[in-house]
Amino acid sequence: MSDHRLRIASAFLALAGAAVSGYLLWVRETGANLICATGGCETVQSSQYAEIMGVPVALLGVACYAALLVTVLLRGENARLVHTALALTAAVFSTYLRYVQLELIGAVCQWCLASDGIVRGLAILALLRLKIAQAAPA
Amino acid sequence: MSTRLDRRRLAILLAAVAVFSGALIAASLAASRGESAPAVSAPAGPAQESSFTGIPQQGAALGDPNAEVTLVEYADLQCPYCAQWSRQALPVLVDEYVRTGRVRIVFRGLAFLGPDSVRALRAAVAAGRQNRLWNVVEGLYSRQGAENSGWVSDAMLHEVAGHRAVDGSSAPWIDRELTKSSKAAQAAGIAGTPAFQVGRTGGPLELVQVSSLGAEGLRPAIESALAE
Repeated sequence: MSDHRLRIASAFLALAGAAVSGYLLWVRETGANLICATGGCETVQSSQYAEIMGVPVALLGVACYAALLVTVLLRGENARLVHTALALTAAVFSTYLRYVQLELIGAVCQWCLASDGIVRGLAILALLRLKIAQAAPA
Repeated sequence: MSTRLDRRRLAILLAAVAVFSGALIAASLAASRGESAPAVSAPAGPAQESSFTGIPQQGAALGDPNAEVTLVEYADLQCPYCAQWSRQALPVLVDEYVRTGRVRIVFRGLAFLGPDSVRALRAAVAAGRQNRLWNVVEGLYSRQGAENSGWVSDAMLHEVAGHRAVDGSSAPWIDRELTKSSKAAQAAGIAGTPAFQVGRTGGPLELVQVSSLGAEGLRPAIESALAE
C-alpha cells in the first residue's frame, strides 16, 4: 500500500475520531441526552476521569484528532514523525482510558471504545507509513 | 537521510511518546486521586449511614451502571416536595428497583430557589467526586430548613458533606456541572421540581407526569420502560 493511500485512510480516521470526540464534547456542554447502547456512557462521562486538570478529555480528543488530521495532510519527514508520535501517544493514553473504564469505573462507554478503535487504527497506519519511509531508498 | 539519523529520530519519537503519554496518564491519575473511590465500594464519609449503603455510586448516578432503565430526578435541595419524595418514594424505589440492579437513578440538581439552594447543591455535586452525592443529598433533605433562611450553614455542610466536599465546592468544574443540569432541565421542558425522566439506559428519556409523590407515582413509567 502506498504512503498516499495510507495518508488518505488516516485522514478519514482522524475525521471520524474528531466527530466522536466532538459529539461527546457537545453533549457535555449542552447537557443533551447521551445516546448509549452499552449503558455506561453517562457514568463514564460524569466520572472524575472525564477531565484532566479541568480540561474535558473530549476536548483533548478533538484537539488531538485535529492535530492528527493536520499532520497527516502535511508532507515531509517531520510531519510524518510528529503524526506518528501523536498517534502512538493517543493510543497509549486510550489504552489507559480503557483500563480506567473496565477496572476503576466499572462501566463502558461505547463512544470511548469507538475512539479507542480509531486511534489504534491511526497508530497502525502511522507505523506502516514509517516502515514504508524506512524501506525507501535514501 | 542516513540510517543513523533515522534511528536518532526514531529514538526521539519513542521518547516523546513515552514522555507525553506518561504525563497525560500521571495528570489523569493525579486529578482523580483523593477525590474518588471505586464505584463498587460502599461510600465512606460523614454521611455513611444512609439508605444507599452497599449500592454503587458514580458521580450523580446511583445503582448498577448497566441497569436496564435510567430514572433521572431533577430537584432543588430547598424544595419541600423534593424532600418529601426523597423520604417517601425514593427508599421504596431503591429497594424495589435499584438494589435489584434493574434501575439506576441520576440526580440532576437545580438551584432556582435561592442562595441556600446553590450552596447545598455545590456541596452535593462536590461530594459526587467522592461517589457520595446521594448520601449528601439525603443528609441535606433531612435537615432542610425554611427557604433561604441560612439553614445551609458551613457547620451543617461540614457535618453532612465532609470537609473535602465543602472545600471543593467552589471549584470551576462545579459551575459546569450546574450549567449542564440546568441546560438538561431546559431541554427536557422541566417547569418545576421534583421532575422525572425515565427511559431505557442509553436511550431517549421521557418526561413523566407523576400522579403522586409516593413510589406509586413513578412505578407505571418504570414498569413500562422495563417492559420495553
